Amino acid sequence: MSKPADLVQGTLDLLLLKILALEPMNGYAISQRLKQVSQDVLQVSDGSLYPALHKLEQEGWITAEWKATENNRRAKFYSLTRMGRKHLEKEAGNWARLSAAISRVVKLNEV
Amino acid sequence: MGTERSIQMIALRLRSLFRRRQVDQELDEEIREHLDHLTNNYIAKGLAPREAREAALREFGGVVQAKENCRDARKVNWLQNLVQDVRFGVRMLRKSPGVTAVVVIALALGVGANTSIFSIVDGFLLRPLPVPSPEQITVLAIQQKDAPIGSSGFSYPEFLDYRRQADTFSGVFGLVLSSVQLTSNDLSDRCFVNYVSGNFFSALGVKPALGRLILPSEGETPDEPPVVILDYSYWQRRFNGDPGVVGRRILVDDKSATIIGVAPQRFHGMFSIFEMDIYLPMSAMSLEEPAIAFWNNRDRRRILAFGRLKPGVSLREAQSSLDVVTARLASQYPATDKWFTVRALPEKSARPIAYANNSFVVISGLFLVLAAFVLLLACLNVENILLARGSARQREMGIRAALGAGRVRLICQMLAESVLLAVLGGAAGIAIGVLANRWTNAIHLKDIPLQLDSTLDWRVLIFAAATVLFAGIVVGLLPAIRASSADVNIVLHTGPPRSPGGIHRPGIRNFLIVAQVAGSLVLLVAAGLFVRSLQKVQGFDLGFEPDHVLNVTMDPHGIGYDEARTKGFYRDIETRVRALPGVQSAGLASYVPMGGFPSKAAVSIEGRPTVAGEQPPRVLFNCVDPAYLETMHVSLLRGRNFTDSDDEAAPLVVIINQTMADRFWPHEDAIGKRFSMEGTAGPFVEVIGVTSDGKYQTIGEDAQPFFYVPLAQNFVSKRTLHVRTLVPPESIAATVKDEIARQARGLPIVNIETMKQLLQGAFGVFAFRLAATLAAVLGTIGLILAVVGVYGVVSFAASLRTREIGIRMALGADARDILNLVWLQGVRLVLWGIAIGMAAAWALARAMRHLVAGISTSDPVTYCTVAILLSVVVLLACWIPAQRATRVDPMVALRYE
Repeated sequence: MSKPADLVQGTLDLLLLKILALEPMNGYAISQRLKQVSQDVLQVSDGSLYPALHKLEQEGWITAEWKATENNRRAKFYSLTRMGRKHLEKEAGNWARLSAAISRVVKLNEV
Repeated sequence: MGTERSIQMIALRLRSLFRRRQVDQELDEEIREHLDHLTNNYIAKGLAPREAREAALREFGGVVQAKENCRDARKVNWLQNLVQDVRFGVRMLRKSPGVTAVVVIALALGVGANTSIFSIVDGFLLRPLPVPSPEQITVLAIQQKDAPIGSSGFSYPEFLDYRRQADTFSGVFGLVLSSVQLTSNDLSDRCFVNYVSGNFFSALGVKPALGRLILPSEGETPDEPPVVILDYSYWQRRFNGDPGVVGRRILVDDKSATIIGVAPQRFHGMFSIFEMDIYLPMSAMSLEEPAIAFWNNRDRRRILAFGRLKPGVSLREAQSSLDVVTARLASQYPATDKWFTVRALPEKSARPIAYANNSFVVISGLFLVLAAFVLLLACLNVENILLARGSARQREMGIRAALGAGRVRLICQMLAESVLLAVLGGAAGIAIGVLANRWTNAIHLKDIPLQLDSTLDWRVLIFAAATVLFAGIVVGLLPAIRASSADVNIVLHTGPPRSPGGIHRPGIRNFLIVAQVAGSLVLLVAAGLFVRSLQKVQGFDLGFEPDHVLNVTMDPHGIGYDEARTKGFYRDIETRVRALPGVQSAGLASYVPMGGFPSKAAVSIEGRPTVAGEQPPRVLFNCVDPAYLETMHVSLLRGRNFTDSDDEAAPLVVIINQTMADRFWPHEDAIGKRFSMEGTAGPFVEVIGVTSDGKYQTIGEDAQPFFYVPLAQNFVSKRTLHVRTLVPPESIAATVKDEIARQARGLPIVNIETMKQLLQGAFGVFAFRLAATLAAVLGTIGLILAVVGVYGVVSFAASLRTREIGIRMALGADARDILNLVWLQGVRLVLWGIAIGMAAAWALARAMRHLVAGISTSDPVTYCTVAILLSVVVLLACWIPAQRATRVDPMVALRYE
């Protein structure tokens, strides 16, 4: 596998929002899911995960609440807000257009 | 949706701000949880707990950095930074209390002067009338050809015509200004009264504080029993705020009247700077003059008129409708109404009364500018101090920059300090301003009802806040920028600034000195001009001798005397007073010079036809008895004085002054000439004497025509007895009062004071004295600030050059050379400052030309004296640090790092 791809900040937001769109989860679970779904290609250091989550919370796209987990501890669960869902759709659309355009250029046959 | 999000976000940010510790703890807990999970994973994979922990930390990445980034993401940092800056600023200020005190005091003086003067100006120029929709109120002023606007009033019939016909106004109302004697509970005092039209209060929309106000239906039918409305502060002063005054019967002059209400507290009448005591309806004018004359004579003009515009009507439309009415009246009454137009002016532009050449605006502007200069000087002082401190803190700035502070951050931090200083200074300044205003509010003159109601309202507070912000930011910006530009390397590796400047470059320093000297010179010149003007005015030739004269004003009409009895009374009282020990002479007059409102007459010269459309000139006059001229020491230049034989049966005579003779009969002998005060048909009075000129109405007036008529031929009930004494006049006041009481029981004495006291009053030197005092205070503050400032700059500059001086001395320079080095530099700058200041002062003084009397605004004595005074003081301020510099021990200086 080549070196883990670098991620642009905006795209990280998109990924996090999408993951949370499926179900609310806490920080640890998000990082595990991200590794799992991307098959380890996307390696986001946990140190940059939390600032990104907090920023999303500040923007109002996700909310957080403390819930009790098993083992009688509490964890901070993030979930998507309605505004966040809208933002996600918009960003996902942008990403699709962007990646399609890049693919078209890359697939140009060399002469 | 948007709002829901915003609310949520705001709540979140507030929480981050105020519950910081809790939020941090939550973050800690969150990350700890995460780390525990990771650690457990590694343990599950078989690592030992400690190694699992390390692996977890490695996988996580930088924990501290993550937390810091989270905090950054919370976006409230700027507020936290501000709080931090302010806290640090407070600590820094506490560390150097002396410097802080100086700066705060300097700023307090500057802000205080500005605030107090602005609040006075605001009080009488800017604040709207305390009525609903004050912008609709207009002043209707009469504009005569060749006369200043507003010099004539309306007559009652005219006023009625305008009220009925000017349809762009929802109400036209008017008043007549006068003074009466109010007696209640055996106490009698003189009041300023407005006789108001019936719709005065209703058109203004004023609500009573107590009782009720004059209704439109009452008040303009002659001979109605008079009702009285009290002004609020008069009610407090005179009746102690007793709510039982409503319904009380009192005596106004000698007529019975009833108090029916009290005006609201903030309402002072239509003159913003003067305060009325009571309001009476116009029907009560019969107290003053024959009712028939007032109600029907189109030429008896005493009414000041105002109008309230209908909603939505512009001033221009109102003016056109007024012009229509004026044209109609001019054709209907060509004899009386043809020679003027009526202008509608917004009430705010016509304060305190509609009169051309309104010097109130000029005075206000001038003192605001002077106060601004004081603030400027204070700011320059503060600037210097901040620059000096800034250069001393360059190491600190360098270290902060090395630790990662951005330039903006450093500037913000220094600005926080300067704004903090400004806020402290500003708060102290507002306190000073309030105290100063309490002093001015207490000014209460007897002869003119001045009120300087200058309470703090929002306009004043905004002005003060703006001043403070200006001082803090503008003044603090330059030092902040300079200090933050420190190059980290240079600052950290070298010691304290070696170069003579550091951030305190010569250019700035020179500018500070020059500006402070110039600013202070302007203030001192203004003060000097006002003080000289006061001196001159006090030495004016008044045309009479005011020393050792006692004035006693009384009105037998107030106790019901008729004409014959009044004449007898005055004759007797004069004889008795003349017989008193210490009395040299006594004379009677209807008007006291500089005492208030003299009578005017329209003069028609015999044998000179009136030009169509021209009004005969109006001349002031006084009704006097034969003893007057001698008592007052008015010199009779030609002809003869009145005698006892100039009585009702004899031909009518008059004595005029020199200006009147020159103006009306140039190149002719005025003696024997005749004129009429009542139109071209006569009756005519003959000139029998000419007196020297004098001052009649205000002490600063230009020469004007004036004449005297005998009391015997012009009966007046209210007269002033002038008593010339050999002893101090106050000492016989009680005796004279006793004599009067003996002659006429219960006769209220309207006024008793010496002529000198009167001259200190509103028509005398009061205004000059007030202006001189204010300007002198500002000038002194300015001088102190400039001297302290210059001393500070030169002192600091010299201290920067300690090494250089040490080297020079080691190389052989003696004390004199060092002195010259430091001092000459200062001398050059001071001279520049004086030159620039003179130019600026001369320009500013041009605006003062109507405010000073007896001197020109480029009076060389003032300018020279001030320049010399300032130079000496400032050069001394330069010399002391220079002298200190010469005592530097070269060994110490060279080793000084």
